[in-house]
Amino acid sequence: MTSKQSKILLVGDNPFHGISHLSQERARDRSLGDSAAEKANIVKTAIENGADGFSFSVSDTTLLILNKMREKNWLNQTNLYPIIPYAFEYVRIAAQVGTPGLARKLEKQMILSRNFGAMLGGFGSVITVNPEGLLKAYLAYEISRIQSATRKKAKLSSVILHEVVTDMSLSLNFDWLFKSYISYLSAKGITPGFNTRNFPYLVKKFKEWQIDLDQTLIATQFNKAGFQMNPSREECEKTLQSTSSPIVLAISVLAAGYFKPPEALSYISSLKNLRGAIIGVSKEQQARELFSLFKANF
Amino acid sequence: MANQKVRTAIIGLGKMGLLHASLLNVMKDVELVALCDKSGLMNRLFKSAFKGTDISILNDFNKLSELNLDAVYVTTPIPSHSFIVKSLYAKKIARNIFVEKTLAENYTQSKELCLAAKNVDSITMVGYMKRFNVIFEKAKELLTQGNLGEPTSFKAYAYSSDFVELSKNSKLTASRGGAIRDIGCHVIDLAFWLLGDLELHDVTSAVQTEKDGEPPFSFMAATSAGLTGQFEISQRMPNYHMPEFGLTIECQKGKIQVNDDRLILTPVDAAPKKWFRHDLHDNVDFSMGEAEYFRENRHFMDALLANQKCEPNFETAAKVDNFIDQLLSRSSPQ
Repeated sequence: MTSKQSKILLVGDNPFHGISHLSQERARDRSLGDSAAEKANIVKTAIENGADGFSFSVSDTTLLILNKMREKNWLNQTNLYPIIPYAFEYVRIAAQVGTPGLARKLEKQMILSRNFGAMLGGFGSVITVNPEGLLKAYLAYEISRIQSATRKKAKLSSVILHEVVTDMSLSLNFDWLFKSYISYLSAKGITPGFNTRNFPYLVKKFKEWQIDLDQTLIATQFNKAGFQMNPSREECEKTLQSTSSPIVLAISVLAAGYFKPPEALSYISSLKNLRGAIIGVSKEQQARELFSLFKANF
Repeated sequence: MANQKVRTAIIGLGKMGLLHASLLNVMKDVELVALCDKSGLMNRLFKSAFKGTDISILNDFNKLSELNLDAVYVTTPIPSHSFIVKSLYAKKIARNIFVEKTLAENYTQSKELCLAAKNVDSITMVGYMKRFNVIFEKAKELLTQGNLGEPTSFKAYAYSSDFVELSKNSKLTASRGGAIRDIGCHVIDLAFWLLGDLELHDVTSAVQTEKDGEPPFSFMAATSAGLTGQFEISQRMPNYHMPEFGLTIECQKGKIQVNDDRLILTPVDAAPKKWFRHDLHDNVDFSMGEAEYFRENRHFMDALLANQKCEPNFETAAKVDNFIDQLLSRSSPQ
């Protein structure tokens, strides 16, 4: 798993949502007024230049991009690594209508999606107050949204649990959630993924709960500045070395534009146990240059 | 409390309650004993989710009295803060209390809570977590060093897109306390912290018009030393993916422009310098939301363990409530 060919290089979607972890100001400055078709073109360009797939938060924006790619026959069994839930949107809704209002809105969306499995599972779980059932119903709903956009023209390689849910569940000792998530997705042939800002803590907890890390994919920050690497860059690097196989997809490798691509590449190339990296791009030319560079040298 | 674990409970399990619960539960010197929410359905769901853990799930905060608690977090909607905090003191449920911002619904209530806290020698804290953001900490450090001389004027803003799609005067914004209590209080607290106590001057009309016709809330304030500045607050600004808070502070020998993500220092006689979070060691033992939330909780727990006063406490937060009361009484309804 150390050969260059085996590394996974994914195009990320943060710029499509106007997100920059360097500064919101910067995100607004480069805010993409581009249509879904133009964003789809950026993803296609990244894939043509070395990206092995697309990692995205499941939202109306990204589902439209997938729709456009399907319409133009650009999907070609592209590997998809969706991140759920789209936390920014849910936090915004919770800000507007509160947590119970958010739950009601999500329930309504699930009904409107006409995913009967999700609906039945969801209703049954609410009645019996079964959080595991609710989790599975929610997963079924999100997967159905992606499949509806791609109509099986893409491959769902992994479903990655957003850091907000992963990290909260880690700290509150919800081992049942991780086990249930892994078992549900594994049964469908999808690699269970976890996005975290607390990689060493996750590894420690998974070992404690006897969860086999090797059957998962972990998306977590790795960058030269140690930005969002908790508790420290050194601890994260040490933990990376300790994993028995490459399960980590590095995110924030450019630290949201803080580093130039060659500098970022030099750092992540020095890490021996990475499975790959997710990198967001906002322009076609950037997609071409950046993925060519990383494909050739990572 | 030295060499012991701080026995803690949380009342209110919305997103802030869960965030604090998550951060406290990873701290080795904290024992998260109970979580409390009055919603029947949420209560049953949480009971099921927390099965197998040592954390009790309760639906009535009065039941916390049996748990020998050192501290309670109150993360319920603002209108309930006063009643809950007073009850916690009156029933001797816990001596020390953390309240999510704002402290209360108005200054009258805030003063009552300050008095109640004083009567039991309570260590208190209010969730103005922006003070624990490394960028704002850097701004405080630079202003304290004084190399730029005295501040002469400032501009401050708090913007979000939370309600950008909603109709004007939506009941939803009102139910959350409106833009001033919801996000404005953070930048008011930052201005108090960075520049000193402020007095309200003019509540002006819009400086800038938003797309849908509703202006940002705009007003002028001044310190007793004569420093004046302008605030703008809006939850209806387009393209603010997350709420953003910022200040531009003009000083005698230069300028500081600071927001959640970056600080630009522009001395009159030297080249500008810029810092991002990346430059300021923003790492914490465990991150949820942003790193400042961990630091805020750690600060409160350290104060409890050392039996020391901490900031921002009820007294500090009451000043913000006083300022907001004056502001709202002198402006048209939002």
